[in-house]
Amino acid sequence: MDRLTPVLTAISHPTRRAIIAQLANGPARFLDVAKPFDTALNSVTKHLKLLGRAGLIERRRRGREVLISFRGEPLREVAGWVHEYESFWNERLDQFEQYFRNKKKKEKSE
Amino acid sequence: MTNKSVENIEITCERTIPASPDEVFDAWLDPKIPGTPFHENEKLIVNPMVDGLWYWLFRGQPHYGRFTEFRRPGRIRHTWMSRKTLGEETMVTVTFQKKGEGTLMTLVHSGFASDGMAQAHEKAWNFILGNFAEIFGSERTAGNKTVTGQSI
Repeated sequence: MDRLTPVLTAISHPTRRAIIAQLANGPARFLDVAKPFDTALNSVTKHLKLLGRAGLIERRRRGREVLISFRGEPLREVAGWVHEYESFWNERLDQFEQYFRNKKKKEKSE
Repeated sequence: MTNKSVENIEITCERTIPASPDEVFDAWLDPKIPGTPFHENEKLIVNPMVDGLWYWLFRGQPHYGRFTEFRRPGRIRHTWMSRKTLGEETMVTVTFQKKGEGTLMTLVHSGFASDGMAQAHEKAWNFILGNFAEIFGSERTAGNKTVTGQSI
């Protein structure tokens, strides 16, 4: 579960969330990623480092360019974690409700 | 019905059970009954009273908690800790209200993003739950897996 913490930390900052949203549209070069932000390039580099550590982005060389792309798997893991609880309780309650429905049916038929 | 509040990461499930609140309340803590929280276990210790502790070993994973409210037949509240709560105490509240000839049962599991994780991560949770579909589009259901038999 500890691997979720870097992901949550990475996406807790608005700039990094904006970077993810931008990269979700497709890979981009570093300068294109930095363009919409008023912050220094150095600051964008730091944000990208954190996103990289969380596994949310990867860099690929294409010819002379380096393209940065978004990786969704870590986010899916975090979302899946919450969904697991939701599924667990829904399944338990379905079984519980069914138990009483069966019991009632049995009582009626006796 | 299921509802997820993105502010507190709270899961709410409701069911109408065809029995009286007393019957449903008593059944909920009987591990022999399918669908109850401690049904199927390798080891189970339950002390159902305020400040009573419970321990549930399920598929090799220990789960612990403490009852904080125990009001028959209206409400049971207990903490829930497991490997998957990242060491945080989450809270499970179950209420039983008479509804016609049956019982409206509401289960709220909350506190996923409390204290240790929450402050820095609250926005992160909102982002995940609010924008996940937007980012992943049709792949959204990939994270919505069925977990029958898994430890939580």
